[in-house]
Amino acid sequence: MTDELDELDDGDDFEMPQVAASEADLIAMARALTAPHAFDVWALLAGSRSLPAKLGPTSARLIGDALAQVWPALWRRDGARPGASIDNGKAVRGRGWDRHPPTPLVFTGSTIALLRWLVGMPLATASNVDKLPARALKIGDQVAIYLALDLATGPAQSTIAAQPMVREAPLAWLGFAHLMQGTPPAFDSLATGAGAVVVEALSLELAAKWRTVELGKRTTTEPEALVRLGAVQDATLQGFMAACDKAGRRDLASFVIDAALPLLDRNIAPIPSDLDLTKPLSVRAAARLAAGALLRGVQLWSTWDERHRGVRFLDDDYEAAQLLLSRFERIGRHGADRNAQWLAELASLAPTTPTPADRATIEAP
Amino acid sequence: MSRAIQVRVSESVVRTVHVEDGVQSPLEMLPVLAPDRMADLLAAELEAQGFVRDGDTARRVDPDGVEITVDLKGATVSVKLSGDTKVKESVNLETRVAVETQASAEERLRDAAIGELEKRLEEKTEALRREVTGKLEKKLGDLRSELDQSIGRATVAALTERAAQLGSIQELVQDDAGNVTIKVKL
Repeated sequence: MTDELDELDDGDDFEMPQVAASEADLIAMARALTAPHAFDVWALLAGSRSLPAKLGPTSARLIGDALAQVWPALWRRDGARPGASIDNGKAVRGRGWDRHPPTPLVFTGSTIALLRWLVGMPLATASNVDKLPARALKIGDQVAIYLALDLATGPAQSTIAAQPMVREAPLAWLGFAHLMQGTPPAFDSLATGAGAVVVEALSLELAAKWRTVELGKRTTTEPEALVRLGAVQDATLQGFMAACDKAGRRDLASFVIDAALPLLDRNIAPIPSDLDLTKPLSVRAAARLAAGALLRGVQLWSTWDERHRGVRFLDDDYEAAQLLLSRFERIGRHGADRNAQWLAELASLAPTTPTPADRATIEAP
Repeated sequence: MSRAIQVRVSESVVRTVHVEDGVQSPLEMLPVLAPDRMADLLAAELEAQGFVRDGDTARRVDPDGVEITVDLKGATVSVKLSGDTKVKESVNLETRVAVETQASAEERLRDAAIGELEKRLEEKTEALRREVTGKLEKKLGDLRSELDQSIGRATVAALTERAAQLGSIQELVQDDAGNVTIKVKL
C-alpha cells in the first residue's frame, strides 16, 4: 500500500492495484457492506480518516467492483430461496433470478458520499460527527444504506440512522423503523422494479428484524419509548402496505406474516407487561395501543384475505389472489382471531393482569 | 476590612393545582342492526345504569368524580378523573456574606428559594396526579365489567329484534355464561 495514487508495478503478469491508504479504507468499507465478516467493521466505523476530495480511477474501479457484489449478497441473504412473486396479476415461481429479468442496481454519488462519511467520521460516539446531508437516492443507494445500518451495532448504528440521508431511504425505514424518528418517505420505489426485487430478497430478514422488536416490547418499561416506536412502526407499515397495494404487489408485504406467525403460533403477544406504574394511565394506555403496530399490519392482511377469497376463477387476478391466500393461510382464521384478541387486549379499558406466560419469549430464528 | 452580614430571604406561593388522567377504549359491539339502532339499544342499557343520554353520547359522573362518556355511534368509552388541590408552600433561606456582596447574594438566595418552591410544587402536583391515577385504575376493572354487561344486554336485545324481523320467536334461552339461543319460526 502506498500513499501515491495509482502506482503500478512493472514486469508482473498480475498487477496488484495500488491506491492511497485513505482510499483503501473506503474500498474496505464498500467491500464490508457485502462481506462484513471479512473485515474489522468496528475499526472502520469507529476510526476517522481524512479523505482526498476526489477518488483515483483505480479506487473508483475497485469500489465499483465491490458494489457489483451487492446483488449476489442479496441472493445469499434470502433471494436464492425458491418462491413466488406477483407479476401483472399472475404468479411467477422459481428462484429470485428466475422470477425477475436481470435488473441493474443503480448507485449514484450518494453511495460514495455515504462510504466517505462512514470512513471519515468516528462513529463510536455520536459527538464530533458531521451530518450526512439528504440527497436523491436510487435503489442501489438505498441498499447501501440498509447494509451499512445492518453491519453497524449500538451507538454507531443509531448515529447512522439519525442522518438526514438515511432518513430519506424507505428501505432503511422498512428494516430499521425502530431506529427512526419523524415521518417516513414514500415507499413507492420499493413496490416496483428493482426495489421490489430487493424487498423480496430481504423478506425473511425483514421479518426477523420486526419480530425481534416485537419481543422487546414485552419488557419495555418506558411508555413514552413505546409510543414513539409505535408511531414510526405504524407509519412505516401503513405506508409500505399502501404502496404494495397500489402497485398490485401485496406479496411484498409477506414479511409482516412471517414476523407475526411464530408469535401467534406460540401465543407470545407483544403486550408490555412491565410499564412504569408511576406514569399516568393515559400515557400507559397510549403505549399499549402503540405496541400493536405489527398486529395492525396483520389485521390489514386479514382484510386483504377476505377480499382475496372473493376473487373468482374467471377473474384476471385469480392467480395472484390464490398466491396471497396461500401466504395468509399460515396465519389462518385462528391466528387472525388471536391477533384481533391481542389488539382488543391492548386497547382494553382495564388490561388483564400479566401471567408468567406473558413473560415468555422465543429465540430469533 | 469588610463587614459580614446575614441575608434572609422568604418566598411563598399559594397555587391551585389541577391534574387530570384518563383513558379511551373501543367498545366491542357486534353490528347486528343498523348503527343508529345499536346506539339506541346501548343507550337504553346505559340509562338504566345511571347514564344520561345527550345526542350521540351517554355520560355519567360517579360520586368519586370519575367521569364516563360513551360515544354511542363511535362505540368508544372515555373515562377520566381530575383533581384539584390548593398548595401553600413557603421557603426561608439565609446566608452570611460580606456586605459588599449583599445584593448579589440576596438575588442568588431568592433564585434558590424560587427554585425550591417550584420543586415542591412539582412534587405536590405529581403526588396528586398519582393519587388520581391510582383511583382511576382501581375503578377501571369494575367499569369494564359493568360496560361489558350493558353491551351484552344490548346485543341480546338487538339479536331478539333481528330474530323478530326474520319470523316469530318461539323460544329464547339464555344460560349463566351469557350464551343466548333464539328459536325462530320462519
